[in-house]
Amino acid sequence: MSGQTAAHETEPTADTATIRLDGLTKQYGDVMANDAVIFAVEPGEIFGYLGPNGAGKTTTIRLLLGLLKPTAGTATVLGADIRDRRALTQAKANVGYLPDTLGFEERLTGREVLEYFARLRGDERRDELLELFRPPLDKPVETYSHGNRRMLGIVQAFMHDPDLVIMDEPTSGLDPLKQDRLHRFLEDERDAGTTIFFSSHVLSEVQRVCDRVGIIRDGELVALETIEELLERGGKDVRVQLARPVDPDQFVTAEMIDVELVDRTARFTYTGEVIELLEHLVQYDVTDVDIGDPQLDEVFKHYYGTDSQETG
Amino acid sequence: MTAILRTESGRLLRGTLLLTGLLVVLSAFFLVVFPSIQDEAALFEEVYPEYILALLGVEELHTIEGFLGGYIFPFVWVLLAGIYFAYVSAGMISRDVRTRRMDLTLSSAVSRESVVLQKIGALWVPLVALSLALLGTLLLGVSLLGESVNPIALAMVHVLGVPYLLVCAGIGIVFSVVLDRVETAQAAALGLVFVLWLVDGLAQLNPDFEWVGTVTPSRYYDPTAILIHEEYALLDAGLLLAAFLALVGLATAYFVRRDL
Repeated sequence: MSGQTAAHETEPTADTATIRLDGLTKQYGDVMANDAVIFAVEPGEIFGYLGPNGAGKTTTIRLLLGLLKPTAGTATVLGADIRDRRALTQAKANVGYLPDTLGFEERLTGREVLEYFARLRGDERRDELLELFRPPLDKPVETYSHGNRRMLGIVQAFMHDPDLVIMDEPTSGLDPLKQDRLHRFLEDERDAGTTIFFSSHVLSEVQRVCDRVGIIRDGELVALETIEELLERGGKDVRVQLARPVDPDQFVTAEMIDVELVDRTARFTYTGEVIELLEHLVQYDVTDVDIGDPQLDEVFKHYYGTDSQETG
Repeated sequence: MTAILRTESGRLLRGTLLLTGLLVVLSAFFLVVFPSIQDEAALFEEVYPEYILALLGVEELHTIEGFLGGYIFPFVWVLLAGIYFAYVSAGMISRDVRTRRMDLTLSSAVSRESVVLQKIGALWVPLVALSLALLGTLLLGVSLLGESVNPIALAMVHVLGVPYLLVCAGIGIVFSVVLDRVETAQAAALGLVFVLWLVDGLAQLNPDFEWVGTVTPSRYYDPTAILIHEEYALLDAGLLLAAFLALVGLATAYFVRRDL
């Protein structure tokens, strides 16, 4: 590829965001796979894109890569509008992609697959990456385990030293040790200036590696926070020990969600102010209270749980 | 930017070798039976109903030129090789889309147009391999039979056959971008090429319906005329090339607009 455009240098008013979604919408019949999604990913951050399977994460990614056409709205990737095929194609010289389903030429060996991508995009970092992630290069890809496929995928995503890497469920199939290695690698890449778009349905890893997180549910972006903000907004994890059983109708307030009331113990997530909770609790014969930060899993349940309430 | 062309060419190598071997053996068999057919050619032409002869484009069966043009090429080249080109092209895009290989390819700085063109370009492998192998086999076989054939005319049969095979490939590539299932695309392409071949043969039987055959690609490629009469229908070959380019253009236009 000859002309990697200097679009961001020549346009003085160019958008600084690495990825910007502007009402991005994709509709399949009655289903809104992406419903007017708006957010921006800034240069040099690891942006977590969190949501359960089927929430629309992969649709967003495929829209960003120009594999799908938006029904409405648009987005820019490295300054290129995704509706402008030519500009997007050129921008992709600086994009790495690790899809959830890795389609490799099965009969080729790992080395031949990398050769193919090297011709397509370049491979200045191949050797360095192969020291960290070691798929069996001399074996045909069809004999690979999930983990080895994933490692081959990671190498091809980073080996041309892109500015932006889009990863869709990157740790699926990797054993915990390799997951740790990937997480640390991503942090190093981020510190070196690479922007990483990290889609996942696993909260703990998003909590561990991401700087900010966007949560998507049923095609809609429901939260866009730093990890800390999200934890705060997610409320408090509360356990109350009572001297005697209470009437649930009286005890449970609107701010309590995911309430479990068993005998003399109540567990719930409290979404209101702590002081109000304490004022409420003094009316009862409380023997012990434990208020703590919730696990991100709890926050997640708050958004996706079957008995979740309106979050406002 | 030839990564796709190179990989696709390699991918076609195995199938090409297999098909080339098969067609060489088949052609050799045909040549082996030629002497016995030649002896009874006149009888042969009487015994066979005329529509069979017309369907096969048989003319002057007792000469080696008539035999090559009336037997070997219609079957080996027009039907079998045509079907192969349609079949293999029909898998090119559809299979990559199906296996998500296309996602990884298109995450690079390569346009969809380029993908289609490079895939089609890889057809040089079967084109060259089949032409050379068959040409060699026929030249050798004919001389072993103690016959002789104009080598230029024989070469022209292959050269003018290229546009025909490309049209078959064009049919395949259109199905490849339009249909989602690999098997469906391949079956459709293969079936259509076969039906077109059949329609051309049948249309020639009835003067009232001969015009129907004008939409079939094999109408524009006549091995018998080339070998016996040394008529090189360059205009027809040009028409086939134009049809091929139109089909590739159609496939590309559709492919760049569709969701993957």
